[in-house]
Amino acid sequence: MNPLPLLLTLSSLLFALGLLAVLTRRNAILILVGIELMLNAANINFIAFWRYGSVEFDLTGPLFVMFSIAIAAAEAAVGLAIILMVFRHTRSTDLNRLDSLHG
Amino acid sequence: MVPLLLLSPLILLAALGAVWKARPVHAALLLALALALVAVLYLSVGAEFIGLVQFMVYVGGVAILIVFALLITRPGDEAAEVARRPRSLALGLVCVAPVLGILLYAVSKGLPVAAFEDANPKLPVQALGTELFENAVPAVLTVGVLLTAVLIGAALFAREPGPKSELPADR
Repeated sequence: MNPLPLLLTLSSLLFALGLLAVLTRRNAILILVGIELMLNAANINFIAFWRYGSVEFDLTGPLFVMFSIAIAAAEAAVGLAIILMVFRHTRSTDLNRLDSLHG
Repeated sequence: MVPLLLLSPLILLAALGAVWKARPVHAALLLALALALVAVLYLSVGAEFIGLVQFMVYVGGVAILIVFALLITRPGDEAAEVARRPRSLALGLVCVAPVLGILLYAVSKGLPVAAFEDANPKLPVQALGTELFENAVPAVLTVGVLLTAVLIGAALFAREPGPKSELPADR
């Protein structure tokens, strides 16, 4: 049996969990946790199609994952820096309280 | 196949904990566990290099960054968060269920292309390096510029306000 459907189901569930975190969390840092989970779900898809897909001797999947990991790291660093700056202004990372652009 | 069957529930359980736990530090540590298990998954399907990169960047970098950010910002009022968590989770589940339904329906419909049991059993690191630094050079350079910009930008954002404002006015 080909394990591709298993990996695709895993990544679908992981994506749904990430989306749930993004929708329900109020702490900005924990929303980043959800975004990381969704990015990982996409990476699992790339690797699954590379490993068990229909194209042999192909490197597109792993290449995409490499770039995706690099960009995810950049996104996390900038996101956390912005959250730290906002925290310094408002003493809070609760998104419900951050309803004003006034510095 | 057997490692995948063992790893998939573990990854999902760790991710579920990262979403479910009301306490932020528990959630961040469970995220680190989930990311580490995904790295093990990559190792077990033959993409060792990607697994190691995942381990170093995600587990060693991003997850630790998140834990440190939580320690710096010290999210207060945990009791209120714990109390309102079930209601927001129920509302979130209502929104996520259709998305998950569509995704699982697409997976169950099967693939339009033939799938091989062993399309690429092993990741050839040398070929990946050649591909990266011969055919994908513009993309590699772009990512390099992006990461440099991120380094400078994040340092500018996160630094303490400088002593400029404290300089004497007559200078």
